[in-house]
Amino acid sequence: MDIRHDDNDRRRRNNNGYRGGGNRKRARDDEDDYHYDPRRRPPQRQRGGDDQPASRRRYEEVPFAKLRRMTLNIAGSAQLPQDEAIELAKVFAENYDDERLRNDYFDIIIQLILEQPVKIPFVAAVIFYGNDAKSEIMADALKRVSSRAQEALNGGLWKEFKLMLRFLACLQARYDGDGVFTLLNQLFDTVVDLQSANENDVVGIELVKIILLTIPYALAYSGSAFESQAKDVLDNTGIVASNMLPMEGLIHSYLPDSEEKPLAYHSVIGLLQQQLTTEAETGWPLVVLPKFDREGLRKQAGEDTMTDAPASHPFPTIEIPSPMNPGSRPLFPESYLSLYGNQDLVTVPDITNIASSLFRDAIVDTIDQLHFNRDAAAKLLIEIDNYWTVGVFAKRSTSFELMREINEEKAHFKPEDVIMDAIFSQIFKLPAPEHKLVFYHSIITSACKIAPTAIAPSLGRAIRAVYKYIDIMDLELVNRFLDWFTHHLSNFEFRWRWTEWLEDLPLSDLHPKKAYILAAIDKEIRLSFAKRIRSTVPEQMHYLIPNRLDEDNSPDFKYDDPSTPYSQEGQALITQLRKKASDEVIQEIINKIHTLAVEQGIADVLVPSTDALVTSICRMGAKSLSHVLSCIERNKDRLLSVANESDAARRQIVASVVEYWKDQPGVAVRIIDILLNYQILAPITVVQWALGDFLGAGEVLAKSWVFEMVSNTMSKVANRNRQIIVARFQKGLPQEQIEMVEATLTKDRESARELFKYIDDQLSGVATGAADTLIERESSGELSAEDGQYVRAWAVRWRTVFQRKAQVEESVVGEQAVDAKIKYLAAQPEPVPIEEDANAAGNGVDVKNSDEIELDI
Amino acid sequence: MSPNRSTVQRLDQPSSYASSKNRRRRRDEEEPEPDLMEKLKDATTLYVGNLSFYTTEEQIHELFSKCGEIKRLVMGLDRFQKTPCGFCFVEYYTHQDALDCMKYIGGTKLDERIIRTDLDEGFAEGRQYGRGKSGGQVRDEYRQEYDPGRGGYGRALADDYGEDVD
Repeated sequence: MDIRHDDNDRRRRNNNGYRGGGNRKRARDDEDDYHYDPRRRPPQRQRGGDDQPASRRRYEEVPFAKLRRMTLNIAGSAQLPQDEAIELAKVFAENYDDERLRNDYFDIIIQLILEQPVKIPFVAAVIFYGNDAKSEIMADALKRVSSRAQEALNGGLWKEFKLMLRFLACLQARYDGDGVFTLLNQLFDTVVDLQSANENDVVGIELVKIILLTIPYALAYSGSAFESQAKDVLDNTGIVASNMLPMEGLIHSYLPDSEEKPLAYHSVIGLLQQQLTTEAETGWPLVVLPKFDREGLRKQAGEDTMTDAPASHPFPTIEIPSPMNPGSRPLFPESYLSLYGNQDLVTVPDITNIASSLFRDAIVDTIDQLHFNRDAAAKLLIEIDNYWTVGVFAKRSTSFELMREINEEKAHFKPEDVIMDAIFSQIFKLPAPEHKLVFYHSIITSACKIAPTAIAPSLGRAIRAVYKYIDIMDLELVNRFLDWFTHHLSNFEFRWRWTEWLEDLPLSDLHPKKAYILAAIDKEIRLSFAKRIRSTVPEQMHYLIPNRLDEDNSPDFKYDDPSTPYSQEGQALITQLRKKASDEVIQEIINKIHTLAVEQGIADVLVPSTDALVTSICRMGAKSLSHVLSCIERNKDRLLSVANESDAARRQIVASVVEYWKDQPGVAVRIIDILLNYQILAPITVVQWALGDFLGAGEVLAKSWVFEMVSNTMSKVANRNRQIIVARFQKGLPQEQIEMVEATLTKDRESARELFKYIDDQLSGVATGAADTLIERESSGELSAEDGQYVRAWAVRWRTVFQRKAQVEESVVGEQAVDAKIKYLAAQPEPVPIEEDANAAGNGVDVKNSDEIELDI
Repeated sequence: MSPNRSTVQRLDQPSSYASSKNRRRRRDEEEPEPDLMEKLKDATTLYVGNLSFYTTEEQIHELFSKCGEIKRLVMGLDRFQKTPCGFCFVEYYTHQDALDCMKYIGGTKLDERIIRTDLDEGFAEGRQYGRGKSGGQVRDEYRQEYDPGRGGYGRALADDYGEDVD
């Protein structure tokens, strides 16, 4: 049973959106779901009995099963959520004496808060009504949730802290005094301390985000009593929220200098501050947050039975630790991106509307927390309208055209656009997304499978919105988009309306749109094969996929052509290598190449001999990656000795691989990766080849595979450094090991800096037009003025990406970052091991999802 | 604190096939036998099934490296013909990458076929060969449906259909 939501949509029975399995299946699932007390379970059904519905409901659902089922499905059924919450509260109150039930039910509540944050207001409503029925319910819930919040705060698990706090805020109406606002003010005091200690502090930024996102929930569920408290908090956060950190200059989705941008840069907290201020001015309508009748349960119970005023509780104590644990994930400022915000028609909330932040935050968290079941996450997204005020969304799967009509009367949001916007915001999150990008690919795939007719048109508009501004989008994001686009199409028969891009085919290959098309075709072929991809594109594009790619043959061995220099030697070499001839025989042929090279006045004779060797290896290993791997393995010592002897020859290794696989650069990229792992190549070899030997006037910067090769190489460097600091942060490391690790770190950190510096220098030459080859080719007319401008623009975009990467690495493995962490760890009382603490706090939700950016201490 | 049960099923659990080796199926048990769980708790290898015979290592690399760097890829081969027979083992460097692969790639398409991934205790020599009577995978022996990506009809049936098994 993967997904447990009732598909019956109470709000639009006539909607033609997705509707999955009926109640029959669900009823069975719910029984499967039951785990409370196996001893009291109904006798095991025989497998064959599954088809006999009559026998299935013979047993009355025990209270816990009912509580679990209804809670997990809350707001997802035909019932009104308020009625569900009241019923749950009553059942819970009736069975409250059962300790095991009580404990297990609170566990479910905590788990639901963590895993499906869009449901927090509904879960809180259960406890809110529970308080009316039995005040211990709320008292105990506060105890448990606040202790979980405390753990999260101690562990630097910001998202979990935020979610626990949100639950507490939803109960604001039932606290003594100022309730959650007292804590928000204390948190803000901490922000002030953090910010005054370090102007680049990011933990404070994160705390401000949490504070700001808690306020709307506290106000929506407590009436107008706390508006002045909210105003006070907002007055304080204003300065921090509007402050710009240096890092923010590097996380723009679109080039900061471009004139026509679909969306200007906005920091998440800057926007929140503005939106909340606007909301305060209009008396906090908070339209989208679903409201409940606070007297709901009391009205049902009848006034006479409930004469007492509802119990109120002191806000639970949460201690703010000092020093703050910054958490295991590096924190960065966040920018707000919307792909649909720039349409002529409103389908997603405008950035001035608090709804945009509330939707985005809750949806993104739900996606990220449900990473372990993309289908369940996608299903929840498809039904996203269930979890907000009825009527703020248009019916599911309302067409864009129909939206135009509907919105003439009153603005509605299109649920599909809102959820796709949220998913893409994660794919496009800089500097790094929360999970591996492929997770977001898979959730889009799932959503498309569940509700194809609803999702596909939204997706199409997203693709067009990205393509339209692809020339000014951050280059790393373009490559993420390319990766998603091609992977997505590979799941849907490679269907895309290429015809609408045909007009861009005549453009120069250096134009960003043309370059994108070329890269997309290459990536599609990598996941499939040339002939198949040709059959999916219009005929006008066939020339992009030459027939020679269809042949099953390996690429030609250039030495077979007698006009190739050293052709005889090249042929002899491959013959002997195939025979696995002795080193002497091989060396003899190589020496011959050297002799000829000297005669021809070649400075480094190892270059032509390495070309022959590597080209032979590529040819022999052309059949598959395992073939080339075993060829490399067999010739490893030879390659290593060449690599150690001459830098030029070492770069020739890259050159020969790329040359041999010029029609299938994806294969070259993989082989280079293998060679890096064998340390036959060093990162600097690859970078110097790509941005030195191969750079030309800079035309190669338009090729996505070159970007891929350089980024992959730099990721390897970054990952290694991060592994070193993980080793450094280990507890109880003996002094001599500390010294050893630090020496390695110092060395590797320096070489990473040199690499970034080399990249930046090379790119800046092209970006400013000062590079010699660029000047030559432009003045000779070899490169048109237009292409010259494209080349410069590519260099600018490359540069932004690698400057950011350099900065990110500094903030994670730089001296300052490492020192701060060591100091923090040293200040920790023995022996609360951070790692275990973080794990325990995970509570079933993975806190350690390794992705590129993760610093896993 | 022991981890709580999730509110929805996890996709990074070994499948019922993997646990069928020591199967004692109980419907109220979502998790497989502890023995197997223990073996797979650090698994970095995945069994990948339902590939087309024509899917290449390069294609597999292209897709599976989206979950992390691949340490080793072993293609499943027909025991007699030594040609791909529709499965492979993908080994990652980390357990987390293997879990992510279960969550994000298992059940999606490669070469336009829905592929199946399963946590595996690790490749051992010999396991790369099909265990079917005629050399391929067992499931391809008696398959009733025509599957052009996997050699047409089941091989045991192919004679009756006059299908060329080569």
